[in-house]
Amino acid sequence: MKYIIEINNLRAGYHNKIILDNFSLKIKENSWTTITGPIGSGKSTLLKVLIGLHPYEGSVIINNYNLKEDIKKIRAISGVVFEHSDESFVAETVLDEMAFVLENMNLTKSEIKKRVFEVAKQLNIEKLLDKNPYLLSNGEKQYVALAAILVMKPKILFLDEALTKINNCDRESILKILRQYQKGNNMTIVNVTHDMEESLYGDELILINKGKIILSGPKELVYKEENVFNKLGIDLPFIVKLCHKLKYYQLVDDIILDKDKLVDIIWK
Amino acid sequence: MEIIYNNVSYTHNAKTVLKTNVFENLNMKIEAGLITAIVGKSGTGKTTLLEMLNALIIPSTGSIKVGKWTINKKTSIKDINELRKNIGLVFETPEIQFFNITVKDELLFAMKCFNYQLDKSEKRIKQVLLMVGLDESYLNRDPYTLSNGEKRKIALASILTYNPKIIALDEPTVGLDEVSKKNLIKILNLLKNKYHKTIIVVSQDVDFLHNFVDYVHVINDKKVILSGNKYEVFTNVNLLNEAGINVPKVIDFSYQVLQKKQIKLGYRDQINDLIKDVYRCAR
Repeated sequence: MKYIIEINNLRAGYHNKIILDNFSLKIKENSWTTITGPIGSGKSTLLKVLIGLHPYEGSVIINNYNLKEDIKKIRAISGVVFEHSDESFVAETVLDEMAFVLENMNLTKSEIKKRVFEVAKQLNIEKLLDKNPYLLSNGEKQYVALAAILVMKPKILFLDEALTKINNCDRESILKILRQYQKGNNMTIVNVTHDMEESLYGDELILINKGKIILSGPKELVYKEENVFNKLGIDLPFIVKLCHKLKYYQLVDDIILDKDKLVDIIWK
Repeated sequence: MEIIYNNVSYTHNAKTVLKTNVFENLNMKIEAGLITAIVGKSGTGKTTLLEMLNALIIPSTGSIKVGKWTINKKTSIKDINELRKNIGLVFETPEIQFFNITVKDELLFAMKCFNYQLDKSEKRIKQVLLMVGLDESYLNRDPYTLSNGEKRKIALASILTYNPKIIALDEPTVGLDEVSKKNLIKILNLLKNKYHKTIIVVSQDVDFLHNFVDYVHVINDKKVILSGNKYEVFTNVNLLNEAGINVPKVIDFSYQVLQKKQIKLGYRDQINDLIKDVYRCAR
């Protein structure tokens, strides 16, 4: 198993407050890792370190590059979508917004056009291409922010509470499309979120509290630790909560994340 | 205080190439003393409806009746100022309504603007802090440095200071964790039951809404497409899907059971009640 991100003995914080101390973590290549935790747990600080926006001590290796020495190389293969995506828009149409990063990569006009239309089709936002990104709804803005990153074909995509501001319908459809895209393009996703429903679309799940990893592993295994989540006041995804209760009543034996399968098993 | 939207139409950027019709002859009634939710997918104009309530946006045609006031193009500034004393609007992003560098000044701001019980202001701000579940230790803090959940509570407290009859909240759960959402439900129920406020919540978070709202309006395609109590609205799976709104997960599960196994479970707000139904039917 190849790891694309390797963090060793990381130490980071603000002013005199250390948030992450002696923190180590490895993230598998081509996996989708969800990082969650209560407010103030250190998840956002961790992401800021990974995208090179926060000072730190220790070792952070991303795609075999040292973050301190090769940040430009890391930025060339990674992209970030933030919660307030519109703050980073620079162009007056969605098409120009998506083309912006590619123009800076010195690609030919035909290659830029090809990539923009390809991603617009995959994300089903062709109808938005000639619209002003600032005038779109929150959900549409997040689609555009995502598209403007995906055109550069990043090896790693970081999501920083990127889907927090949008409604459940839009969020689910973005997550589904992103999952499909990730599988088809061998991309690694690191999603920092407090919304556990989003973790259903990932492979690995990491729970952080007070700067330490409390739980980590394939999501199906992490979900079993209901008490740990309850103690921290974190709501598990609806289907996981349902399975825990059904297990209590001995109606199912395990956590089943497929709704259809769960319905079949209960009523068998 | 009852609110009636009467044939409201609104055109955004009316005199530019970006002209967009947001509503066309929209009609909607919000009952006094209840918690009413307005749901709709992104871009359907839910926030515009709230802003109209406070006359921040005036309808292009039609009118809105709020108690004894009528909001239309003819409404005078004097009437608008009087009307605003009765309405507390909490924006989606709480920071945009903060003006001051301490929570105390922030809470006093609206009282000073509306000249509301200034002689009892110290007592009042402590009272509203308690209403939203915070204590006096917050008074000297900078509102901009608070957590997202705390900012929302301060934003809500700042409008409660002048005791408005109507409280309107725009997407109050965005960025809130589950614990904060549960606290917010407690506060809103308290405001309705003890202080008899008329509460309007604009949100797309149906899993949050179906726990506590009394009445729901669904907005889609420039008008209200469905209105009713939460049982009538949240079980109308087909129409909600058409409007791009998710069905609350508890109800979605019951619907799936009915579709696949022809077993009808009861309408349940809570997962525990749903499980009891499942247990009864499966055994």
